[in-house]
Amino acid sequence: MLARPALPSFDYVRANTPDEVVRLLQEHGQGARLLMGGTDLFVRMRDGVIRPQIVVDVKHLPGMRSIEYDEVTGLTVGAAVTMNQLARHPQVQTHYPLLAEAANSVASYQVRNRATLGGNLCNASPAADTAPAVLVLEGRLVLHSSQGEREVAARDFFTGPGQTAMRENEFLKAVRLPPLPAVSAGKYLKLGRNKVGDLSIVGVAVFAFPDGTVPSGYVFRIGLASVAPVPLRAWEAEEVLATHSPGEESFALAAEKAMEAATPIDDVRASAAYRKAMVRALTRRVLGSVWEVLE
Amino acid sequence: MGIHSITVTVNGAKERLDVPSNMTLLQMLRDKLGLTGTKNGCSAGECGACTVLVDGEPVNSCLMLAVEADGRQVTTVEGLAHDDHLSALQEAIIEHNAVQCGFCTPGMLISAHALLERAPRPTEPQIREALVGNLCRCTGYLRIIEAVQTAAKKGGA
Amino acid sequence: MAELTSNPVGKNTPRVDAYEKVTGTAIFTDDLQFGPGLYYGRLVRSPHAHALIKSIDISKALEVPGVKAVVTGQDFDTRIGLYLVDRPVFAKDRVRYVGDPVAGVVATSEDIAEEAAQLVEVEYEELPAVFDPVEAAQPDAPLLHPDLGEYKVANFIFPEPGTNISEHFRLRKGDVEVAWPRCAAIVEDTFRLPHIQHVPLEPHVAVALWEPSGQVTLWTSSQSPFAQRDLIAQSMGIPHGNLRVISPYVGGGFGGKAGVSMEVYAVAMARAVKGHPVKLRMTREEEFIGTTVRQALVAHTKIGCDAEGNLLAMETEYYFSGGAYNDYGVNIVRAAGYSCTGPYYIPNVKGDSYCVYTNLPIGSAMRGFGMPEIHWGIEQIMDQLAEKIGMDPAEFRRRNCVKTGDIILTGMKMPAIDLVACIDKVTKAVNWDERRGKARPRPSAPHKKRGKGIAIMWKAPAMPPNPGSSALVRFNEDATVNVEIGAQELGQGAFTVVAQIAAEALGVPYEWVRVSAPVDTKYSPYEWQTVASRITWSTGNAVKAAAEDARRQILALVAEHWDEDPANLDIKDGIVISYKSEREQPLKDMVIYGLPNENFEGWKGGPIVGHGKFMPTYVTNLDFETGQGPRAVVHYTVGAQAVDLEVDTETGQVEVLKIASAYDVGKAINPDLVLAQIEGGAVHGMSSAFEALKFDERGRPLNPNLVDYRIATAADAPRQIHGDIVETPLEDGPWGARGVGEHVMVQTAPAIANAIYNAIGVRFNDLPLSAEKIFMALQ
Repeated sequence: MLARPALPSFDYVRANTPDEVVRLLQEHGQGARLLMGGTDLFVRMRDGVIRPQIVVDVKHLPGMRSIEYDEVTGLTVGAAVTMNQLARHPQVQTHYPLLAEAANSVASYQVRNRATLGGNLCNASPAADTAPAVLVLEGRLVLHSSQGEREVAARDFFTGPGQTAMRENEFLKAVRLPPLPAVSAGKYLKLGRNKVGDLSIVGVAVFAFPDGTVPSGYVFRIGLASVAPVPLRAWEAEEVLATHSPGEESFALAAEKAMEAATPIDDVRASAAYRKAMVRALTRRVLGSVWEVLE
Repeated sequence: MGIHSITVTVNGAKERLDVPSNMTLLQMLRDKLGLTGTKNGCSAGECGACTVLVDGEPVNSCLMLAVEADGRQVTTVEGLAHDDHLSALQEAIIEHNAVQCGFCTPGMLISAHALLERAPRPTEPQIREALVGNLCRCTGYLRIIEAVQTAAKKGGA
Repeated sequence: MAELTSNPVGKNTPRVDAYEKVTGTAIFTDDLQFGPGLYYGRLVRSPHAHALIKSIDISKALEVPGVKAVVTGQDFDTRIGLYLVDRPVFAKDRVRYVGDPVAGVVATSEDIAEEAAQLVEVEYEELPAVFDPVEAAQPDAPLLHPDLGEYKVANFIFPEPGTNISEHFRLRKGDVEVAWPRCAAIVEDTFRLPHIQHVPLEPHVAVALWEPSGQVTLWTSSQSPFAQRDLIAQSMGIPHGNLRVISPYVGGGFGGKAGVSMEVYAVAMARAVKGHPVKLRMTREEEFIGTTVRQALVAHTKIGCDAEGNLLAMETEYYFSGGAYNDYGVNIVRAAGYSCTGPYYIPNVKGDSYCVYTNLPIGSAMRGFGMPEIHWGIEQIMDQLAEKIGMDPAEFRRRNCVKTGDIILTGMKMPAIDLVACIDKVTKAVNWDERRGKARPRPSAPHKKRGKGIAIMWKAPAMPPNPGSSALVRFNEDATVNVEIGAQELGQGAFTVVAQIAAEALGVPYEWVRVSAPVDTKYSPYEWQTVASRITWSTGNAVKAAAEDARRQILALVAEHWDEDPANLDIKDGIVISYKSEREQPLKDMVIYGLPNENFEGWKGGPIVGHGKFMPTYVTNLDFETGQGPRAVVHYTVGAQAVDLEVDTETGQVEVLKIASAYDVGKAINPDLVLAQIEGGAVHGMSSAFEALKFDERGRPLNPNLVDYRIATAADAPRQIHGDIVETPLEDGPWGARGVGEHVMVQTAPAIANAIYNAIGVRFNDLPLSAEKIFMALQ
């Protein structure tokens, strides 16, 4: 019922190669948990939600903590890159400010020194603050297993609360984001019970850029957190903005559609009804501020 | 459960310690080294009373394993004053009466210290944002914010 | 060497505890070292809100290697409690809330104790539970304490056996039925406040050692070392002289560490493993439900005034949700009863204040002790009445607030205070005239609305009639001074204030004074409890008396030595001086060794020890039927707050821009510490408007953690917190001082609600003021 005073017993193993991780996962199955920042893992272990026999520290594997940018291939973020590392990286700030903003919105500064992008995504909390950004930036997740590597689009990654497309014996190595159009704008807005630092009751990320091939002349992508079993794209809202010219009227309509896409639950943080209404309010607000930049 | 032999530098002093897998950095500091200035307020990364610097950056020591500190530099509140001289920040906290019960103060000092290291002249919103992970129930925060401003004017952490 | 401060009373001397606290060397209970013989305790808690215990099987727990003992309610025959002795040491035959401890496990590590605690098997038979205090007060409600009539109770508390009512306080003044028809405006409404928790940064922790000799020592983070000694000694059958309570710095109390909560379990477990200290500490999650909470309240209140805005009548019923055990809570409810009008003169009053058992965590003292709860409704009704008769709400309060010499609701004459001055100061601080019409400042965005609100308060120290304080003043060889008190430093600055008082009364520099800590009932002079904002006043009086006693001894000795009249002597900066002969005698040469006779033919004097005490002797009991009596309380502290805020109409979020407070503290012994209380209290009060402990329909807590119980952070604190000090001296306070620790958050929530109303025109009768609730109300 209540959390334990401290962590239960387990064995800590520091992994040095990806193969070692895969082997340990095969050996221990659900009894093994991967450690990157520990900000969710240790909390859940204290809460008694999970009780692994073995905790495998994967952040020292090659590439897990590096950020690489290339104009052609885009951005590659190692799974164990921390939120602060991401938020203050010059090339992330320059080319993917939305991702930096989302990373910076997570919890507190000291938590962001430990919390990782990979952990935030793999925990697959509906409230994951970086998920909407990765969704609208059309990120892909690089998964490693004994069969080698495969990539899964972020939109296909989240399958339920705490559930992902990751197979057993597979782990996340990196997140890849494609290069972005020369002109674009993005913003993440979250609503919490405190001004900053809370879990999001609702989170809305919008990414937009001019595109002559769509009727409205602009592509708008909208990602939502905390309002459905999984972080999701508001496809119908995006469709509205592909066909209607940007402006208050279309933004209101899109916000309405985003609200319809949301299927939140009542919980101790907020009711479903409030969350839905906030999806509308925040979506309108974010669309407005993104448009201000693009216009 | 595994026991790990680690080497960690705490407040400038190198230590060799045997730590069990499930021991947190907070437990190591308090129970192994007797550095009780770092406090346990929630064991969940929410209150910030256990904040310490690891390689110069603040972390919640309740959410980090001791074994993860192998080879790293840890600074606790006990390491902020040098040769009995308080840091500018410690002086400023006293000057502004920004301490009451004192339980949040060690973590608060560590977070503020780190802020001034990375942003020597922080704006008020920057200070507030940097201290969001350090709860205080006594002071109402404004005196702490003013103390950080005073320390910044006097040349930093 | 730093400068020395003469005559420190009224000056902003630095805190005596600051250096230790900024260097991490200040010792709190969990920091004490006990060596490898230390054992750890964990509690087994009830998963049910109300159930009979059919059986407890501890055999599996006892088999765990490292487990030293398991204790249950079967091991203890007695109950414990402050005003009403209603709590078994461990639940014996029934559990009354989710979290009620049924067993305690002692082991060589906390981890082993936790593992073993999970192996204790308890068989329950669930009973119907009741959570709403109004329902629980009904005759057919499930009964929590069938034995209520057998419980020992203080002579001013009146439980109603056969019901869940643990206290019913009646206030009758004038005739409300005659007054209602004369009212031009009447507002009647129901207001609700949820349970909230103190959230001290330091969770409760206690270490107990029961020696084979029968000597018992308890190290505890406590506001009440002496009350703990008294209650635990009585409950556990320990002679008072054999129980020693040592209490280092307290990492925040706010009432939550007053009286006894989890400490008795540590002692009970230590009895089972004699010779080994046992440490019991609450996790943050346990802190929320396993210590104490602020009682929830349902208030039905009706108030009326005439067309000129004079209050004529008030009728109110307060139903406090006391939780499973009301040993301390009953007196909160009594205080709410005898102060039921709030800080107003109302000629006709009918008040009924009920403490009701409910199957929820234990309601107990929290900063304000009943006052934040009752002011929530009262202060909103006052705004509504003012609006109805077309009067400015600040003006309405100036007209009706209590004034010096008023015969207040209990028949007591109001001691000197100036609440009007407080109202004047806070309205000025927020540019009150801008709250309506064209003067209104523009909000920061089109979707935001700006509003200002005001609320005023009063609060008396709520105590038994005769809580005592005592103090010793001892000198060291160099004439530095040790002040010994049993009052506790919780962060409020008690140690600093008593050092100032001792220095001033003795005539030595402030820097010469040390306050003996930790509080240790074996060596510290008696103190009832560090509660009720009574330390500056009560302990302050005792310290002043002790210092004056020492001073008298010194002056008599030097006068004899110089053959002068003591009336001509004084002590200045640590030197005895004669205004007549202009001779000087440094204290350092005489306070320990005395003074030699002429030609060293013998000596006179000796180590100087001053002792002082204070106990109010004038508080009377109140009539059972009417609550009337000559002197209900020692005094009241009054104050006002004004709030300036913005409401985001698209999300319902409130941003508090400014809180201005003014309190009449009689005399600010240390003005900056008074302002520090005012500022911290404003934010604590703000949090109390926005947070609540929530339970599901079976009484299980939904947010007993800091993830979902949100308190204000540095980013949420108002941009400005303004404080003003009013000084109308208190007759029997040291230099006129009265306390201001709790008052600072009493009226913050209704001031915020009144400002929200000013902003958006919507009233909220129920706390918390969540963004969701405000948004929904705007739809």
